[in-house]
Amino acid sequence: MVVGEVASPVDLLVIGGGPGGYVAALHAARLGRQVTLVESEALGGTCLNVGCIPSKALIEVADAVAAPGRVAGWGVSATTEVDMAGVREHLMTVVADLTSGVAGLLDRAGVQVVPGTARFSRPNRIAVEHDDDLKHLEFRHAIVATGSRPIELPGLPLDGRRVVGSAELLFATELPDDLVLVGGGYVGVELACAFAKLGSRVTIVELEDRVLPGFGKRIGRAVERGLRNLGVGLCLTHRAVGVTDDGISITGPDGDLVLPADRIAVVAGRRPNSDTVEVTSAGATVDERGLVVVDAQRRATDRVFAIGDLTDGPALAHKATAEAEVAAETACGQPAGFDPTGVPMIVFGDPQVLSVGLDRDEAAAAGLVATTGRFPFAASGRARTLGATEGFVEVVADEAGTVIGVHAVGAHVAELAGEAALAVETAATVEDLAGTIHAHPTMGESIMEAALGLAGRSPHRA
Amino acid sequence: MPHVFRLPDIGEGLEEAEIVEWLVRPGDTVVRDQALVEVLTDKASSELPSPVAGVVLTLGGAEGDRLQVGDVLIEIDDGSVGEPAIPEAPTPVVAATTSETATGRTTSGNRPKASPATRKLARERGIDLAATIGTGPGGRITAADLDTSAPTPAPIPASVPDDSTLGQMEPGRHALRGVRGVVARNMAQSWSEIPHIHTFDELDASLLLDFRTRMQGMGREVTPLAVAIVAATGALRRFPLVNACIDGNEILVHERVSLGVAVATEGGLVVPVLEDADQLDVFAATTAVAELAERARAGDLTAADLRGATFTVTNYGSLGGRWATPIIPPGQAAILGLGRIADRPTVVDGAVAARPMLPFVFGADHRLVDGDLLEAFKRSIVDDLTEPLRLLVGS
Repeated sequence: MVVGEVASPVDLLVIGGGPGGYVAALHAARLGRQVTLVESEALGGTCLNVGCIPSKALIEVADAVAAPGRVAGWGVSATTEVDMAGVREHLMTVVADLTSGVAGLLDRAGVQVVPGTARFSRPNRIAVEHDDDLKHLEFRHAIVATGSRPIELPGLPLDGRRVVGSAELLFATELPDDLVLVGGGYVGVELACAFAKLGSRVTIVELEDRVLPGFGKRIGRAVERGLRNLGVGLCLTHRAVGVTDDGISITGPDGDLVLPADRIAVVAGRRPNSDTVEVTSAGATVDERGLVVVDAQRRATDRVFAIGDLTDGPALAHKATAEAEVAAETACGQPAGFDPTGVPMIVFGDPQVLSVGLDRDEAAAAGLVATTGRFPFAASGRARTLGATEGFVEVVADEAGTVIGVHAVGAHVAELAGEAALAVETAATVEDLAGTIHAHPTMGESIMEAALGLAGRSPHRA
Repeated sequence: MPHVFRLPDIGEGLEEAEIVEWLVRPGDTVVRDQALVEVLTDKASSELPSPVAGVVLTLGGAEGDRLQVGDVLIEIDDGSVGEPAIPEAPTPVVAATTSETATGRTTSGNRPKASPATRKLARERGIDLAATIGTGPGGRITAADLDTSAPTPAPIPASVPDDSTLGQMEPGRHALRGVRGVVARNMAQSWSEIPHIHTFDELDASLLLDFRTRMQGMGREVTPLAVAIVAATGALRRFPLVNACIDGNEILVHERVSLGVAVATEGGLVVPVLEDADQLDVFAATTAVAELAERARAGDLTAADLRGATFTVTNYGSLGGRWATPIIPPGQAAILGLGRIADRPTVVDGAVAARPMLPFVFGADHRLVDGDLLEAFKRSIVDDLTEPLRLLVGS
């Protein structure tokens, strides 16, 4: 600490400008607080800049490139060509539009944005480093939303060229010939589908015996089928151990193996940025996973809140955004609490995945007697017209008929997340879903059909 | 080719079982010994393991269905070819529980059902949703329900523990299944088939309590319930017609004397059995009852623990009751109920005195047991309970 350092007083401080931080700042400003937001990189965080948004843009590009194959039997013949430099340009435009939107929102709300890297020095003070400048801010309340960063694996140091993280891969200017994705979670699955459609030979190396280990087995199997249909190689129960001149060496139950790879992307998970912000200096407790210990109001201390990837639960933008509101309201003296029944999870693979609430196994583990209604897309008119009849919707209900989970795998099912989450969060019953007229022909109808099945009166399933 | 797995006999004399939950679905790949299904037999639930590895073809019933022993439970394609697979006797019960999952969800320990808007309203008003009764579909708490709910009520001292699931169930219709379903069927069968007679009496438990105290002084645990059990086995040996039942057009006199001891658990009433209880002395019976009750409450009973009782003792007095009219379980002829021992006025040597009195009831199947046998049997038990030393010297 500099002797005689002078700290500028701030009212409500937000550290991090991602989907957690910027929403917390906007909400607190709306509630009348003077808000200062410190961001070390670009506004919008991982999600807008290098995560959810550009990856979805790339997936749309990949779908467009692969369209001729999809419609070949429909009396349409076409060819596509891809220019990765142009694709990168497009992705950057999408990102720029959104991040400038965030900057505009913050500006209009009167939030002061301070560039720099923040570290706690005392329970009510941070030091902000920007270029060679160091300044100190003393806050009444702080909401920490510094997010997470990709974990690195021993033996696979990132060099930014051949061995990269998901961010560098997304903005690649050249298409890899042989791409190896280390990690079969949702990021690995999404990138595998996209690059396979763009024309790379793709292999996933996953430690577990299936992809998407965080999701139900049936879902994982359907996604594996989809990956294989795209020609993606799956090295399950394999671990990446090192990089060779023209490949990557992996080891598994049957011994060692070298996969050819001109690009290796390490997408094996993320770790919370609780250390970089030195949140323990504020008096907060960090657990062995690096997560900040918070209460239902997201308080880590009496004046410091932590939200988003810093706290327990799925590291997802929409979870961070929901926590942002809770933290901001609590800081403003309003009753609030983070107590969702479910946080929806989606994967933009091919097929897509949706999961919210409990599945049958989780319900049993929770001591509930659950029943499930499943509707296969093979029986869906809309799925037929899309040429994508793989997959199903599954509605899980407890004994009282309350919907406690909705899970789906299939084309466009990520877009069903809204209805699924609404049903689970509002404790809708099977009859509520079955009795709501769903527009025909849509993929969403299948939720109603699954509920009708559960109610024992599906007209489309014996 | 399909391996046909039939419902095995997993407990003594088991005839049927209820499918509680399928743990696999058609199309699933299963390995040998993987749990396939949870079934409920009598009052114990068991997971049945797969006798083979393969792919599940068909399930033999829906959850809640009842299957007879020998009915097809599941068909599994084990990939074999050639001669038809012979249903082999599987390893029986791998895990057995009298779990709550059998009776299903209770309101305690579960998340209150309410929409985000209702939860927000509750937070604003300081209302604990866990203490709010939902009147919406499926027990959902509506905003209107909050109007009748007091803000964070001060804890009221209750005789029933806060976490008790006793008597808890959501409004609406519930499938009658699990332990409750078994209890319901047994009770209805007994009540409709057996013409019950009951005799009520009280006995002076001074010596019984004295016996327990003095035995404790010698480092030996004895409970009045165990004394009653041993007294009852003596009476059953003396009067075999009470250790019997009517089976169709026959009277079946049981060879063994095995006592069911009713135990209340969170999952419902269960009656684990002390096999060959006539071989136990009061000390062994005390230990055996404690162990059975412990296992019953822990949900560790197996189907076999619940079969084969020839007579039942219910200690309803442990819940505080004085008089009761217990129902005789199917397959038995009589039941002994014990009330709570308490100081009550009685006449001793021509004067009213306060004595620890044990109220009890003896119920019997009037088709087998007439009034004179009823009273003789009762007298035998009363004599032993009034002077437990009789049980030590042997009769």
